[in-house]
Amino acid sequence: MIEGHNLTRRYGAVAALRDVSISVPEGEIRGLIGPNGAGKSTLIDVLSGRAENASGRVSIQGRDVTQLSAQERRVAGLGRSFQRTNIFANLTIADQLEIAGFTVSEANVDEVMAELGLLEVANEVAGQTSYGIQRRVDLALALIGRPKVLLLDEPAAGLSAAESIALSRHLRDLVHRWKVTVLIVEHDMEVVFSICDRITVLHLGQVLTEGTPDQIRTSPEVVKAYLGSAA
Amino acid sequence: MTDLSVGDLGTGKRERQALARRRETLSQGAILIIAIVAVIPVAYLVRSNLVLSLMTQAVIAGVLATSVGFLIRQSGAVTFGNAAFYGTAAYCVALPLKAGLSLPLGIALALVIPPALAYLLGLVIVRIPGIAFSMLTLAIGQALSELALKARWLTGGEDGFSFALPKTVVGLDASFLQRPTSMLIFSWSVLVLVLFGLSLFSRSRYGRVVAAIRENEERARFIGYQTVSRRAATFALSAFVASIGGVLATLYNSFVSPETMHWSLSGMALIMAIIGGTQLLWGAVVGAAFVFFAKDWAGDIGEHWQAVIGVILIVVTVGLPGGISGAMMQIASRGSRLFKGRGAP
Repeated sequence: MIEGHNLTRRYGAVAALRDVSISVPEGEIRGLIGPNGAGKSTLIDVLSGRAENASGRVSIQGRDVTQLSAQERRVAGLGRSFQRTNIFANLTIADQLEIAGFTVSEANVDEVMAELGLLEVANEVAGQTSYGIQRRVDLALALIGRPKVLLLDEPAAGLSAAESIALSRHLRDLVHRWKVTVLIVEHDMEVVFSICDRITVLHLGQVLTEGTPDQIRTSPEVVKAYLGSAA
Repeated sequence: MTDLSVGDLGTGKRERQALARRRETLSQGAILIIAIVAVIPVAYLVRSNLVLSLMTQAVIAGVLATSVGFLIRQSGAVTFGNAAFYGTAAYCVALPLKAGLSLPLGIALALVIPPALAYLLGLVIVRIPGIAFSMLTLAIGQALSELALKARWLTGGEDGFSFALPKTVVGLDASFLQRPTSMLIFSWSVLVLVLFGLSLFSRSRYGRVVAAIRENEERARFIGYQTVSRRAATFALSAFVASIGGVLATLYNSFVSPETMHWSLSGMALIMAIIGGTQLLWGAVVGAAFVFFAKDWAGDIGEHWQAVIGVILIVVTVGLPGGISGAMMQIASRGSRLFKGRGAP
């Protein structure tokens, strides 16, 4: 499980997160939605150690990791993917996944490549593959070692509707089998409503509400602040 | 499809890759022996002491240039300060001898102090990316050079000082270090071993991680790597190679001065690395040999040899992004394809 308690993050005078608390129990897939600038990616960054929080506390599996760096949080069992593809563009796919496997006790490189359909392109230089494959490599880097917690920042961004749905279904199946706790930021509501157990809505750096997909879909305040007619 | 069967398939591939790596290491070992042995007839066939001396100096410069080229290749960092480590190593050899201490002690200090210093400095400066890192290395190099210049009581200041080698070194007549023929063979052997060692490092787990950090430092952190210490260690390894060059130069010349630490020597090593090419480990050696002989040739026909080197640098930068070594590999690759094409039925 992953928890953030009273997290605040400022960019100059602007508070991107204001006293945000979130708790995702073990094995749950939690969606994080909200309009642009709501603080979704900032929350993922604070939880993963990419951005320092001005105040508050982060814990993974009950262990306080607030003072740990990004690499230490990774070793503690946290994997993350990025909104913009963040891979080793000049290395082959197999090479970078193998390198990612050096830091974990269970380097399940072949398993991850098979799960994400990367075996056929394993020896290709990642930067020379299609965008869809690069997104999968980004995800694969986060999945090496079967992390206990996975933070996904728009994993389906830039993919076609069919690719998004296929990826999200596969992801749901995979994390349930591996019993991974997931916090996923996604703008594609079809993806969010189809794979998430619960959803947290952020608005202006604060938690607006939290609930099951059905509760969120019909919440008047969420519809007003974010969903509009999209739901 | 079970995970196990897929895993077995992938493991088989990796075993083949590991086998290929072992074969590559073995073939490199064979090349290493051939490369060391090959210089012996050259050293004895060349009759001119002047040419032999020039070749020896080019080889020693090749070691320094390799330290710079290696850092660019492995870490993506451009240093203007490796002469500081080269020069520090030179003083580490010379000062104990001046004080009547033993040569092995001096060599040991020369191979430990500069890399240790580089590692400690690296822990701070590798955090600063790009040109700012280069400027910091320049500043550190100049600071050490100034220090050597001002501490006249110890270093002899601008004039430097010469020293005598002991009669024997580890049971061998020490004069072999100052005869062009034997020193060419010795320096060349050291250079080949340095290249082999760096090649092993690049292909090691640690080296591959450092290359990944060069590619994308942020992602490397998010797959669990502490990046600063690894980059600092790579900087220290580069300084270690520069120190080897400094030791060889000092033993050969029996003289040391602050010029061995000056930024212009670092700049020349960088020019050698760029002209030779940094994509291949041995590129800087080609660059060093080319620059040394171009300098000698240009010096014969006029006073402005720097201008000639400058023009060569521009031509290589614009026309040969992979440097001379990159061009050599391209030509070899085309020749090989042509040969295979003709040989095909």
